[in-house]
Amino acid sequence: MLHDVLHDHIRAVPGHAEVRAQTNTRRAVSIVSGNLVSNVRSESGGVSARAYKNGVWGFSSTADYDEEAVKKVIKSAQDNALFLDSRAGKGKPPLPSLALANYQVERDFVDVPQKIYIDAARQVDAYIAQKYPALASRSVVCRSDSMEKLLKTSEGGFAHSIMPRAYIYVFLSTDTADGETLELFEVLGGGAGYFTDYYADPSVFYDKIDRLYEQLMQKRQGVFPEAGVCDCILDASLAGMLAHEAVGHTVEADLVLGGSVAGRNLGKPVASELITMIDFAHTALGEKAPLPLYVDEEGTVCKDEVLIKDGILTGYMNNRETAVHFGMEPKGNARAHEFSDEPLIRMRNTAILPGKNKLEEMISAIDHGYYFLKTGNGQADTTGEFMFGITFGYEIKNGKIGAAIRDTTIAGVAFEMLKTVDMLSDDMHWDTSGYCGKKQLMPVSMGGPAIKCKMSVGGR
Amino acid sequence: MKTNREIALFVLDALKNAGAEDAQCVISTGVADELNVDSGEFSLMRSLFDNKITMKAIKDKKKGVISINSFLEDAILNAARQCVESAEASVEDDAVCISEFTENRGFEAGALTPDRDRFFDRLQEYLEDVKREYPKIILEQVVTDYSSVETFFANTNGAEYSYRHGNYALNTMFSAHDGEKSTSFNYCDVSFDDLDSKILDLGMQRDLYKRSEEQLESASFEGKFCGKAVFAPLCLEDFISMAFDNFVSDMTMIDGTSPWRYSLGTKVASEDLTVSYVPLDPRMVGSERYTGDGYISENYDVIRDGILNSFSLSEYAARKTGLQRAKNTSSCMAVKPGNKSLADIIKGIDRGILVYRFSGGSPAVNGDFSGVAKNSFLIENGRITKPVTETMISGNLAAMLKHVVAISSEVVCDGSNALPWAAFDGITVSGK
Repeated sequence: MLHDVLHDHIRAVPGHAEVRAQTNTRRAVSIVSGNLVSNVRSESGGVSARAYKNGVWGFSSTADYDEEAVKKVIKSAQDNALFLDSRAGKGKPPLPSLALANYQVERDFVDVPQKIYIDAARQVDAYIAQKYPALASRSVVCRSDSMEKLLKTSEGGFAHSIMPRAYIYVFLSTDTADGETLELFEVLGGGAGYFTDYYADPSVFYDKIDRLYEQLMQKRQGVFPEAGVCDCILDASLAGMLAHEAVGHTVEADLVLGGSVAGRNLGKPVASELITMIDFAHTALGEKAPLPLYVDEEGTVCKDEVLIKDGILTGYMNNRETAVHFGMEPKGNARAHEFSDEPLIRMRNTAILPGKNKLEEMISAIDHGYYFLKTGNGQADTTGEFMFGITFGYEIKNGKIGAAIRDTTIAGVAFEMLKTVDMLSDDMHWDTSGYCGKKQLMPVSMGGPAIKCKMSVGGR
Repeated sequence: MKTNREIALFVLDALKNAGAEDAQCVISTGVADELNVDSGEFSLMRSLFDNKITMKAIKDKKKGVISINSFLEDAILNAARQCVESAEASVEDDAVCISEFTENRGFEAGALTPDRDRFFDRLQEYLEDVKREYPKIILEQVVTDYSSVETFFANTNGAEYSYRHGNYALNTMFSAHDGEKSTSFNYCDVSFDDLDSKILDLGMQRDLYKRSEEQLESASFEGKFCGKAVFAPLCLEDFISMAFDNFVSDMTMIDGTSPWRYSLGTKVASEDLTVSYVPLDPRMVGSERYTGDGYISENYDVIRDGILNSFSLSEYAARKTGLQRAKNTSSCMAVKPGNKSLADIIKGIDRGILVYRFSGGSPAVNGDFSGVAKNSFLIENGRITKPVTETMISGNLAAMLKHVVAISSEVVCDGSNALPWAAFDGITVSGK
């Protein structure tokens, strides 16, 4: 655990300033077709400070963490703010004061020995090798990461937080009769917490591996989808990526200022009335959010931000500075990944809320279309255009599930595609295992129900 | 303050004392000054001071790796113990090793001291130039920095390398705007080691900004055809990198899924195509001088005149597969230019697409790909006719490399790559 040598040096800085000590840890073990190719532990830590001056910021960080290092980065951050103000001064007023944060982490850091990861990876790999010897290849990755942050602000805000995550990933591939290699992957459970919280007995996830193998064999017999716009169902496991990539990035206030499509749509209908989308802080739908955040790296107390309400675009995600620009309340979206990173506007637990339909009735409502279940990656544009790589799905014919499909890409324009949504399932799936990339990486969670809509499908 | 070499030797001792039979480490110290511009205005200045130690221990043919960023003796001793414990818990593997001693070398490259005021002036000039010459472009974000790094590699076979380098870099994300109209974003990265040129003249920024402004008139098109795709240099690098990830890299060679695993010395591409990794090319800035495995870097060709000349393997993957390790860590891609101008290549295309950015899913193991052609233009009857949006392209990477139509004589060097435009046949283009 980080001990506090920040003291109160930051209190002497006029206006708004922050000082943050931070340690990031990462553990990873990878087995590829029986070869233990990666066995890595890493620790990265230090202290940083940031100071605001008339509309510009100065920042400094160092890998050392003692009282001298704290004083050094605070002075360097102030010097940088002064330099930038002198060369490119904007003459803006001080940032408005906020309620003071005071948050103390509930649970100590748990450092799981590397042997635990290695043994889990070997156990899962041995299960696959023994049960499915005809696979073309198999990979098992056991990994965890954590961010521990100790924050103080010049106004007197304080937060000490830890966000740990742990996961096992399984990748299976098979050869088709004509020599093509097809792959599928699955995350076996995991989430916010430590590796031993989820994987004391990895055998409880064997049924997920069996299901993955079954899907891979279906994909092996799969057909290529037809290119064009058609009726689709995005499984609940894809809805979060839609929320995050297609909509979420366009309503980050820094990207709105950069000219994103959301800038001219605030207060306007951007989606079907069925759609409500929220960036949750720490509690979602009456439960603890998958990656809960209580105080952000500017010292703002985290609250939910309602982005779309009944189809109307209602808000942006802000930091303290953009909140002033847009006349909105900052809700704690300023996050930094490493000690040497400045806070950027980032998503937290971003989700489309569930509807009232059952998946079965959604499928039966489609004559000819697709049900997409797995995605490899997704990308979005500030125009709202987005694409997802699809790695598994099924045809839907005459209201029934048909053949599995091969890899394809689906794409659309968020605020057009969301208007075609006419059914939402009444369940909800969260995905917490990924990183969002935006200058820095950041763990984020995303969620939603199954969605029936129209999408453009890539085909072959 | 100890030198990097002194710290390296301390780390090796710590690893040996903890039980390692073989060990290696890389010590790194870096300083960076970074200036950020958001929505066209200066927003942030950062000064970063960082350290890093990466250590590897081998015991009983088992390997552990740890990285930390503290130079405190206690932290190093603790990390060395954990590194050896990780190795002990690992799996025996004949392929794990450290490099043999050959010769010890020291390297220096680039701008070793920054000119902070001149850099700021150049950046201010750049912002004014973009605003004046490309008024419809919004620089959504500009991150520019001067960074200097000193690294030291050592292993228990006596290999030692030092490398000190510094350079400037600019990363921009931008789009064009005109009233209610706006374009997809695009981006550009350039690295440079002097301030003699205007920043706007570096890389292919002028072409990218001009094309983005033209994109304001883009529209979707209806239909689907199979034709030729001309990839702009950065997009070409994306496609070749996707292909190489699937066909010549560690993972797909170790797991045996690479379609090229038995193709060394055989034709895998059109004979016009030569793709190399050239960190020692003088146009490259701040590029590697030794590999993470502990060998002095050399340039090498992956594909030479269409023939697969080398895989891009680490020493571990090379020993697992019985092949040769690559001569560098596959950085700084260069594609041999052709003898036709881009204009002449476009004149020879009846129907195709000029692609400036690709937004797609990871390609399938066999190289099948599909995705959105961003910032792109239709080519009809030898002319660029219209900018398009919501247009998807698909094909197969292995087949594509065998169907090179032409490679341009023009080459763009951005300090990290040296790439021409290249046209490929057999790409499916589908509109709405």
